[in-house]
Amino acid sequence: MTLFPLLLALDVKEEADLIARLQRRDPQALAELYDRYGRLAYSLILRVVRDTGVAEDLVQETFLRVWNRVQGFDAERGAVGPWLLAVARNRAIDYLRSTTGRARNSLELEAAEHPALYSDMEKDLLLSDKARRVKAALQKLSPKQREVIELAYFEGLSQSEMAERMGEPLGTVKTWVRTALKNLREELDAAVAI
Amino acid sequence: MSCEELRDHYEQYALGLAEEPERAEIRAHLKRGCEVCMAEFRQARELTTLLSGAAAEAQPSGKLRRRILASVGVEPRRLGWWAPFWAVAAVMSIFAAAYFSGREKEFAEQLANARAYERNQDIQLTRLNEAFAILNGPETTVTSFGAGQAQPPKGKVFVNPSQGVVLFASNLPQAQSGKTYEMWLLPKKGNPVPAGLFQSETDGTALYVRRGAIDLNATSAVAVTLENAGGAQAPTSTPVIVAALGRG
Repeated sequence: MTLFPLLLALDVKEEADLIARLQRRDPQALAELYDRYGRLAYSLILRVVRDTGVAEDLVQETFLRVWNRVQGFDAERGAVGPWLLAVARNRAIDYLRSTTGRARNSLELEAAEHPALYSDMEKDLLLSDKARRVKAALQKLSPKQREVIELAYFEGLSQSEMAERMGEPLGTVKTWVRTALKNLREELDAAVAI
Repeated sequence: MSCEELRDHYEQYALGLAEEPERAEIRAHLKRGCEVCMAEFRQARELTTLLSGAAAEAQPSGKLRRRILASVGVEPRRLGWWAPFWAVAAVMSIFAAAYFSGREKEFAEQLANARAYERNQDIQLTRLNEAFAILNGPETTVTSFGAGQAQPPKGKVFVNPSQGVVLFASNLPQAQSGKTYEMWLLPKKGNPVPAGLFQSETDGTALYVRRGAIDLNATSAVAVTLENAGGAQAPTSTPVIVAALGRG
């Protein structure tokens, strides 16, 4: 059963316990992990690949990857949700690149999902005020600014690939990317300052 | 390059968009454990993680959980009070296999259908539990839509500012193949915010639960449109449901 939104609000100790149980190869811990993050991972992957069957295959691959690599995760300091989402996004983008004939940079994707990168990240980040602010800030971006951010995040396009896709000059695309990220960062900074 | 010069490039680096020479510079700063860059990069990764919130909420099939658990060697979960029924079904299957050659397949299909039914019940129960939590909230308000109209969808929207939205609807037209219903939260200012995908039942009814806090002061209505499977980031069709909040 997916009770993700209800159960995502974990306290820090509970999440550390969950990771420790995953590291002890407790399959029930994997079930709990799925109940907490399965729907979110599926939503993200479906947005990238736009095919429900493929999305479910990639969600399965995501959870197995986390299951097989959790030994390298810091149970006390790590934020498992953001890590799992990074793995999910990478699986989806790698799939997209393989089906569209675009160059695959598997090494770069591997580096981006290294468990150590998710140490010291907020454990409840996905339900925090920051999440709400960034979501709202995305809606405030101009359509072109939002498009470039979504092409980068959901399709893994480089700025040159975006310029080609959108039929716009590279310099213009770079300006949209820079401005959009600056606006989003300011929203995040404002959330931190409160 | 100094950390200050790299300040505008961490998010691009985290998104895989950074170009040379900034990419190599950031990599070098991180490799040597530069504390300023580590902190900036952590914040940039938080930002990129939160971009996932732009994806429309979608619900995987009930089979997926079992598939994932089976792939790490978990036995199917306990059958609970259904167990006697499964036992009877299993015995009947064996009996039939022994005495009625050729009937095995039929019984196996019946068993599979019963299991599928049970999985579906699990999903329905979860949704009802979520809906019940919202309906029971002391701050929950209810808004009707479609009243007094013969054909269009009718129903109610329950909104709890800290827990989410429950939509009960009837008279919904059957979504064509490749189409899905998508809920939107309409802010008083700005663009509609995607609030998840759902399908109607064959009798035109739907129960959809969208968990998550809602700022009632900034939200004017809940709407539903028909979109392509996978959903849209902005409505592409005329809403089939609009429930203006605060007008019961």
